[in-house]
Amino acid sequence: MASRPTVSIASAEGKPTGASYPLPSVFSAPIRPDIVQQVHTGMAKNKRQPYAVSEKAGEQTSAESWGTGRAVARIPRVSGGGTHRAGQAAFGNQCRSGRMFAPTKVWRKWHQKINLNQKRFATASALAASSSPALLFARGHRVANVPEVPLVVDSKTFQGGAFNKTKAAIALLQALGAGDELVKVQKSRKIRAGKGKLRNRRFRQRRGPLVIHNPETDGKELVRAFRNVPGVETSSVFALNLLQLAPGGHLGRFVVWTSSAFEALDKVYGTTTSPSALKRDFLLPSNLVANADLARLINSSEIQSVVRAPKGEARTKRGVVQKKNPLRNKQVMLRLNPYAAAYSKQKLGQKGVESGKPGQASETFFNTLYEN
Amino acid sequence: MAAERTNISNDLIWQITRNQNAYLVKRNSGGGSQFSRDSLNLLNKHSFKYAGYANNKAVGVQATANGGVAVTSKKPGNPQQPAKNQVTVSFGPNTGTRKIYKGVADKTAKNGYRGDLREEAVARVSAIRRSQKAKKDTPAQKPRGAQARKAAEKDSE
Repeated sequence: MASRPTVSIASAEGKPTGASYPLPSVFSAPIRPDIVQQVHTGMAKNKRQPYAVSEKAGEQTSAESWGTGRAVARIPRVSGGGTHRAGQAAFGNQCRSGRMFAPTKVWRKWHQKINLNQKRFATASALAASSSPALLFARGHRVANVPEVPLVVDSKTFQGGAFNKTKAAIALLQALGAGDELVKVQKSRKIRAGKGKLRNRRFRQRRGPLVIHNPETDGKELVRAFRNVPGVETSSVFALNLLQLAPGGHLGRFVVWTSSAFEALDKVYGTTTSPSALKRDFLLPSNLVANADLARLINSSEIQSVVRAPKGEARTKRGVVQKKNPLRNKQVMLRLNPYAAAYSKQKLGQKGVESGKPGQASETFFNTLYEN
Repeated sequence: MAAERTNISNDLIWQITRNQNAYLVKRNSGGGSQFSRDSLNLLNKHSFKYAGYANNKAVGVQATANGGVAVTSKKPGNPQQPAKNQVTVSFGPNTGTRKIYKGVADKTAKNGYRGDLREEAVARVSAIRRSQKAKKDTPAQKPRGAQARKAAEKDSE
């Protein structure tokens, strides 16, 4: 890296303040969708609550098999008489009001252990991806009017707990060019399909921007300001969560940073050579290739000077092609018949017979004919 | 991406997003062909060459509401600044089609921008212009057969 790129800090009105901050090292972490997806799948499982069918379900009769010799299947049958239930098959998973196959148990393995280093790698990777406008667009964020990605807002806006109104929060996001994003979220709100409706998950909607702040300097009032804006989530820079940074395991969440949170990133993640101040034994992962631009690598003089010249001609000759009719296709005719050009140029095809009737033969001819 | 970001490149972005992205339209109909809703995609086709979001240089051609054509292209210099990243040139409804072709072709292929997209860009302008033409009414059918004879008889009377 020749010079560290800098990120300008925007004011609350969305204008550049003139101040800038060098891009924290975490943004040059390798972007690894495979690791992010794997960690996300694991983490998404860690909030589950156990569920199971009742232990007794389908097992609450005293059914016994009738054994062989009664010309019915040997499945247990409900004993007794006087009701329709008597003599019906019971217990089996194929039976009406039998128990299910392999009844679910509360002691299923609900949670996944994920290696801490992998989780940190995934978070760093998701953060790096959040700094690429292309990935934000590909995730569906409406960031076309955002002045810069990563988007950093001056922490002065939030100082002293003055920023505690949702009205101010919406005004801030609109000033930063995230108005389209808020509209997208609001329009996306739909009633959920299925049973989730009854289970306090009535609506589903898109995710909007994630506001990352530093609670030590920004205070916590902005959390209250943002919490009723649809789609907007807030997070402390010291407790970043992959489920928010890469929802669904898809990279490129739109993140709005407060400047103090942005500056804290170097402390939180360290660099590839100096360990993080807050995470024990953590060094940022390094990239395997120094330059990820494949086209530039291929076209570099170092590579081009050692590859051999391409074999064959620039145009490959086609083998089997469709046969063309020379009577209809003039180009094919010209190739086949060298006289065709002159023939058509002189319009010989359109010419009639030159003179009328042939003249009478000469006298010598007749004399020769009628000799003897 | 920008030369200064060594961990992100157009190729990487395409590899990350080629299976699933916000613009991609995957349907089983039509033989499972994949399309793109990206406005910077000249063929609406899901491929790296035409993916506007994944390329630093990309051209988009769209019809405008007033019956003209708008040509959008990306500035390669500032990929981190989405608000300043796009340039739009619009041609009014009365601009000659050939003049638009020339403008679009120059914008696409000159100065080493995206010569590989020139043909597609011009073709898209052409398609848009054709769609903007008012549709002609179908001519009245000439009478044939018995009807024609009847009409001729009527005329001669």
